[in-house]
Amino acid sequence: MRIFSVSHKTAFVVDHCPYMAESSRQLIECDMLTKSRSQGVIPLAPVSKSLWTCAIECSMEYCRILYDVYPTKKLVNYIVSDSEVHILNSWKQENQNTQELMTALAAVGPPNPRQDPECCSVLHGLVAAVESLCKITEYQHESRTTLMDTADRVANRGRIICLTNAKSDTHVRMLEDCVLETIQEQNKRAAGSDRLMPIQQCELVLVHIYPQGEETLVSDRQKKELSSVLSSEVHSVRAGRYLAGKLNVLVQQHFDLASTTITNIPMKEEQHANTSANYDVELLHHRDAHIEFIKTQPSFHCMNTSRDSGLKETVTLKWCTPRTNSVELHYCTGAYRISPVDVNSRPSSCLTNFLLNGRSVLLEQPRKSGSKVISHMLSSHGGEIFLHVLNSTRSTLEDPPSISEGCGGRVTDYRITDFGEFMRENRLTPFPESMVDAACRTPVERAKFQLERHTRYWPMIISQTTIFNMQAVVPLANLIVKDTLTDEDVLTCQKTVYNLVDMERKSDPLPISTAGSRGKGPKRDEQYRIMWNELETLVKAHVGTSERHQRVLDCISACRSKPPEEEERKKRGRKREDKEDKTEKNGKDTEEKGWTTDSERLKGVMEREKDEQSECEIIKDSPDSPEPLNKKPRLATEEQQPPEKSKGPVSLLTLWTNRITQANSRKHQEFAGRLSSVNSKAELYQHLKEENGMDVHENGKATR
Amino acid sequence: MPTVVLLDSSLSMTRPVSVEGSEEFQRKNLAVHGMTMLFEHMATNYRLEFTSLVAFSSLWELLVPFSRDYNTLQVVLVTDGALGIGRGSLRHSLQTVKQRVDDKKFPLPFPFPSKLYVMCIANAEELQATDSMDNLEQLINLNGGEGQIYTMEGPLCLKSVQSMFGKLIDQAYSPFHAVLRCGNLTSDVQVFPRPEPVTIDEEVDPIPKTVQTDLEIVGFIEIGDISSPPVLSRHLVLPIAVSKEGDEIGTGATDDTEEETSTNQMAGKSPNFCVLLHGSLKVEGMVALVQLGPDWFGMLYSQADSKKKSNLMMSLFDPGSEPLPWLGRMSQLGPASDAAENPYGEDDSKSPFPIQPKHKRSYAQNVTVWIKASGLQTDVQKILRNAKKLPEKTQTFYKELNRLRKAALAFGFWELLKSVAELLERECTLLPDSAHPDAAFQLSHAAQQLKLASSGDSKYAAFEQNITPMLTDFSGGGGADRI
Repeated sequence: MRIFSVSHKTAFVVDHCPYMAESSRQLIECDMLTKSRSQGVIPLAPVSKSLWTCAIECSMEYCRILYDVYPTKKLVNYIVSDSEVHILNSWKQENQNTQELMTALAAVGPPNPRQDPECCSVLHGLVAAVESLCKITEYQHESRTTLMDTADRVANRGRIICLTNAKSDTHVRMLEDCVLETIQEQNKRAAGSDRLMPIQQCELVLVHIYPQGEETLVSDRQKKELSSVLSSEVHSVRAGRYLAGKLNVLVQQHFDLASTTITNIPMKEEQHANTSANYDVELLHHRDAHIEFIKTQPSFHCMNTSRDSGLKETVTLKWCTPRTNSVELHYCTGAYRISPVDVNSRPSSCLTNFLLNGRSVLLEQPRKSGSKVISHMLSSHGGEIFLHVLNSTRSTLEDPPSISEGCGGRVTDYRITDFGEFMRENRLTPFPESMVDAACRTPVERAKFQLERHTRYWPMIISQTTIFNMQAVVPLANLIVKDTLTDEDVLTCQKTVYNLVDMERKSDPLPISTAGSRGKGPKRDEQYRIMWNELETLVKAHVGTSERHQRVLDCISACRSKPPEEEERKKRGRKREDKEDKTEKNGKDTEEKGWTTDSERLKGVMEREKDEQSECEIIKDSPDSPEPLNKKPRLATEEQQPPEKSKGPVSLLTLWTNRITQANSRKHQEFAGRLSSVNSKAELYQHLKEENGMDVHENGKATR
Repeated sequence: MPTVVLLDSSLSMTRPVSVEGSEEFQRKNLAVHGMTMLFEHMATNYRLEFTSLVAFSSLWELLVPFSRDYNTLQVVLVTDGALGIGRGSLRHSLQTVKQRVDDKKFPLPFPFPSKLYVMCIANAEELQATDSMDNLEQLINLNGGEGQIYTMEGPLCLKSVQSMFGKLIDQAYSPFHAVLRCGNLTSDVQVFPRPEPVTIDEEVDPIPKTVQTDLEIVGFIEIGDISSPPVLSRHLVLPIAVSKEGDEIGTGATDDTEEETSTNQMAGKSPNFCVLLHGSLKVEGMVALVQLGPDWFGMLYSQADSKKKSNLMMSLFDPGSEPLPWLGRMSQLGPASDAAENPYGEDDSKSPFPIQPKHKRSYAQNVTVWIKASGLQTDVQKILRNAKKLPEKTQTFYKELNRLRKAALAFGFWELLKSVAELLERECTLLPDSAHPDAAFQLSHAAQQLKLASSGDSKYAAFEQNITPMLTDFSGGGGADRI
């Protein structure tokens, strides 16, 4: 496929000289009703179109089909020629529609029969068409700009369709020579200009129109190369429906169109509303919609080429009345815009209105025997109707393995609903071209950026997460992923945190997964610790986004129960040495590996607790005497408060041992090390550093 | 693309290959060795490829048939390049290729898109010594240049046959591995069949575009909104587990079954993003838009077959900035949450798609076409029908009248305007006594306006101007004739 083929630019040149005002002599009866009316009324004389009117309506029909099938990139420049040139539009995409052309044509009006025929000629128009073909289109310009060094790949080709009434074959030759000369002249001029391009290839299509009942003075001629740049063909056609038929064939040839007739369309009768008859509607579209037929029936291809003889080839497809309105994703190998051949006929408008109202219709290949083959579908998108080509051959992807047989296929607790929600939040929408954000990102880049933010912490399975199984966390979780937070958002996040603190105080159960562990799972305080850790992980992933995000993390750090180290220390007093080592290692690992190993650590904790259970009678989380919780965010320095104060529910054992420890501590002087410790860690052998200064290191390294 | 392997089993294939100090091989043995290697590779890395094996000499025998018909094919011809003599030999067939009658056409070019790979159990010098190479090249040319000839380098031995088949595997059967990404969620995947390079405009951009190995999801769209888009090709997206050594496991089966099974089970049990994505796409009825390269997109969705099995599928759109007109430019699709107002509505009742084109198509805008006489007659009749029902149908009457007027002005068909004016005047004279008095006023007013327009006088023939109903005592306008 080539965008800059001959079809990229079409210049219509329509003769507006006095002789075009001549009647086509095709009579049309307007006064139809009189027949059934009272006698004595003399019917009005039939009307007849002029050659000009015939030329205009057929060229407009050509444009109608063209714009229906190719709304962009196939451009028309419409030129009217008499004693001067009237250029009705430009190559600009915004000028490419029939309404604008109709408005301009109305302003030109029919040819003036009284104009001096000596000054009038279609030649003015042909010269203007060549000049126009040299003008660069916005697509050519854009392509040349993006290709930079290889801008010479952008070709300049075009077609001139001239609708005229020629005097003779000699006259036709004179017109051809004029076009050829003008091309040579204009190409020289274009070579030195930025906004012009020399024409590399030009097809001249001369259509000689003569009134019905007259002999033609011009003979048909097949396409002939007049030079390496210009080829020319001549069509001599009677005005009226012959001309319409000719231009219909030409538009199909020029733009690779093919015809499909939809048959068996059920339609209510106009007169008898309760009866229905079947109708046919013929559509034009790109011929690739028939690619399957061309491939499988080589003879089909041959039939299509004989179109010029006036023989009309069309593929017939049968309407299948749609049963449901369900949305389905069909495997579709192509979709081509259509244009009805007879746009205003009742069957056509019935079909197009049905489709424009949002229904889709499957089309079946008519077969005498064998199974039903659905090969196409008609469907509208945004007011445009497309013929979809559905895959009707068997596919190499039949009978593929199921996803459940592959990696991750045996996992059963994926957060399918949550990810569905995530997808809805990350749905796309079109933005106007001008919408660029402060960082100059295109909307699609912003979409990727949003996905990145939303997935910084996103556990895939239910048993991997606590916070995403908690309704209470939702407000914070939804807000923290945002690019910017308002003060109000921060407040909502803080409220969420306070709410969690409150839950912890009330010792509400948490949806901690017990999958893979025996027994009742971790104790409540452990559950909350896991929850707080996870929440911190989530928020930490976003602290870099803004200062307000940081404030949310600060709030959590201030409000949450004590970090694990302190608990470990607390337990130290009543634990055997080896067990201590084990837990300490566990704790460290957790800190390093982060959230992914939470469940592993959970198991370790649970085992430890089982040991504890065997050691002494455990009293479960008792709600009897929890410390009233300080609602105002605590400062980091307050961490040195006695451990039991910062925690919610405390076991009797802990209460007892703490009490003993406290009592004992009053009986002896505190170790100097513990007094000067930072975060209950004291550096050993500090005096060595003070005494020897840097020597320690040097000695240590034993360089000498 | 399904593969047919053709094995030359003619007598010349049993020619021994002299290898010093080892057991004697025939060319046939080398061919079998190479094919075994190819099949093993497919079994491991290209499991979903359909293959068929045909042995031939002067006759042929289908050893392993396809179970289905396909419209594209890869053909691997394994031969020693000894073309035979006389009728039916390749040499003779190629010489007489133009003399054949229609029902006995030479099989090449195949009537479907295909690639022909010729694996020669012979080295290039040997083939060039005769006209074998020329004949084989002619085969490829007959197939439109689609395909390639492979010859063995060095002595004919197991090692060089392996290296030759290795080249074929790299060329035609290397699996396409990629990373599927959705923000920070990722999965290693194999894309099957592997996506082939695509050229959209051979003139402006002749360099074929290839799918990048980083498949990045950009967002999500409802199935109803994407609405059966046309696609270039479809591919399964299979999650693969990558072990520490970097070897792929999970989708393929290797020899040591036991170890394989256990790793497979492990892979099955560790959560994978593809499975999560597939599940949610299926439940929500959505597709994920995925970027395949600069200005190239595709979509991921759940594809179910009739047997209740479903899988993650990727379809490729045409490369370019706007592959689907109803979505608009792909680069202009952004997160819905960035929009000032939720384009999907608070209750999901709306959608920003499809995008409406700037201009309506002809079938959606009530255009006027008078190419057939019936088109013109229908339009005139519509006016007359409404004329009889004045003043009830005043609005419709003038609407139809103005439509006709506009078209007649554009087509330079002034004669029609005069004619319709006369028709309306006659209607006026034929009005029954019981007719509403307003009807006569409107009919003569309309007729007069049409006549004025048919004069071409710019004051009355302006295209954008409409004939408006006459304000009369009866139409409640207070009696002032404002026209």
